[in-house]
Amino acid sequence: MAYVDTTSSLLISRGTKLIKGRTSFLLGGFFLSVFIVLAIGGEALAPNSPNQIDLLHRLSAPSLTYPLGTDHLGRCILSRLMVGTSLSLGTALATAGLILAIALPVGLLAALCKGWVDAVLMRVADIFLAFPMLVFALAIIGYLGASLTSAVVGVALAWWPSLARLVRTLTLDAASKQYVLASRQCGLKPLTIIRRHILPQILPPLLVVLSLEMAGLLLVLSSLSFLGLGAQPPAAEWGAMLNEARPFFAERPSVVLAPGLVITLAVLSFNLVGEGIRNQLDKRKPYQW
Amino acid sequence: MICAPFTKDKQMKQFVFTRTFSGIPTLFGMTLIGFLIIGLTPGDPIEMELRRLGVAFSAEQVEALRVEYGLNKPLIQRYFLWLFDLFRLDLGTSIASGRPVLELFKEHLPITATLSVLAFMSSLALSLGLGGVTAVSQRTSLSTGLYVLTMFLVSVPSFWLALFLLAVFALGLGWFKLLQFGNPQDLILPTITLSLGHSAVMSRLVRERIIAVMSEDYIRLAIAKGLTRRAILGRHVFKSILPPLITNWAISFGSLLGGSVIVENIFNLPGLGQMALQAIAERDFAILQAYLLFMGLVFFLANFVADLMNHWLTPQIKKGDNGLR
Repeated sequence: MAYVDTTSSLLISRGTKLIKGRTSFLLGGFFLSVFIVLAIGGEALAPNSPNQIDLLHRLSAPSLTYPLGTDHLGRCILSRLMVGTSLSLGTALATAGLILAIALPVGLLAALCKGWVDAVLMRVADIFLAFPMLVFALAIIGYLGASLTSAVVGVALAWWPSLARLVRTLTLDAASKQYVLASRQCGLKPLTIIRRHILPQILPPLLVVLSLEMAGLLLVLSSLSFLGLGAQPPAAEWGAMLNEARPFFAERPSVVLAPGLVITLAVLSFNLVGEGIRNQLDKRKPYQW
Repeated sequence: MICAPFTKDKQMKQFVFTRTFSGIPTLFGMTLIGFLIIGLTPGDPIEMELRRLGVAFSAEQVEALRVEYGLNKPLIQRYFLWLFDLFRLDLGTSIASGRPVLELFKEHLPITATLSVLAFMSSLALSLGLGGVTAVSQRTSLSTGLYVLTMFLVSVPSFWLALFLLAVFALGLGWFKLLQFGNPQDLILPTITLSLGHSAVMSRLVRERIIAVMSEDYIRLAIAKGLTRRAILGRHVFKSILPPLITNWAISFGSLLGGSVIVENIFNLPGLGQMALQAIAERDFAILQAYLLFMGLVFFLANFVADLMNHWLTPQIKKGDNGLR
């Protein structure tokens, strides 16, 4: 075959080079950006008002006015899904923030104080880790009473220990660097050292790990909402929508299947991005038959 | 491996002893957390109970009842009294039904136990198969397909998978009855739901471990020596992925116990998870506390057994060093 080097074939080869090995990352990134757009502008983009009740068209099939049909109160499912993006993703983000807010001080204290502080804090973390995650979250929610806030608190309380351990390990590594020791000898205050030298070292890997955990957080939070322990019914949260639609499952399965598919897609996009990052960092070459 | 059975046995005993001993503080901490969830309950339990019964009461009567139930004592003393009761398996009485918690537990335990063990066993086999195929031959279309499938299954919420399976097999094909429990075969769909998602998560760990081992130099040597694929996978790879995987499996058993709550709820199975959910709705703290402690204990024991197995499988951990000395 002759050597044809037209612009189009060059573009294609460049395109494949760009995509090759990054399919999962690009795909995940694309879905994720769609979700981010929806989270910001869901209200404006939605075809109908998410809480508008249309009792004449209860549980209707997909139509032009209602692209995904309507639920048991005649509300537009697509609009509710779109508007619900900000609440569903926002809850997961808030939980991640709360986890970081607990894990960061605990991990820093344990690593920098050493001695009995370290021993006590890590023992406490062990005790929290000794319970199955969801079971512990359920107990906390039972104690606080079912609401979105208690779901966030429950999940964060069950989730922080593993991250606190990571903070501790990273901080131990960061604090042993020569220039950190030097700044200590210069008489800098501990808080200044943490702010200036330790946080810049540990925050980037921490944020990467936390963003990888977003998929898991999203799953747990939507599960809790589905059990009726998270976001409460009128709210257009994905898990809560599913919960609300359950009695009408036999009548019209799509009422239940649509929100579930959106949750899956959101979790999948986080997982794909995480997988892509991991693939990029992976330098191993395992033997293949 | 060469060491005499006698020394091995002695070391094993010593390990069991130290491991048990180091676990005791954690167990105590767990009971403390479990106790605090009731001990710090907002509102006075006596007043709540009296209000619920609709009895008119005076402050003196409440005080007398508080003395009778030992609620006037300081928190720390109450903790030890409660702990003493716990050792005698006296878990208290459910406020909502007025029955002993232990009795309710015995009623609901079999379903959750059967469901978790069945799901654990099937996901064990499934994850080894899935992980093995996707790791060993990455460039075939079969493994790519399986990889996409696991990626999807990892991301699917179990409640949605359950509803999907119900839509297909119960509503569509009519093989199962909808939301009914009575026969053993009603556990089939719940087990499939629980084990599919779980085995997808685990298969990714299996895949990860196999890839890590297959990148090692000694595998390269084994291949250069001309060992068959079967010999390499069976003799080298499986042996070295097993110890870390046992730890992972034990940890994942916790997520299985948590996941059973969701599955029980969807399939309307009267297990421990359903009991706990009802307890949350009725603010029945004695049940919730017992549930938390029991699940914590099971999880603790799973990790304990995993440690013992690892100790038994890997001789180098036994001496308490990391092989660097």
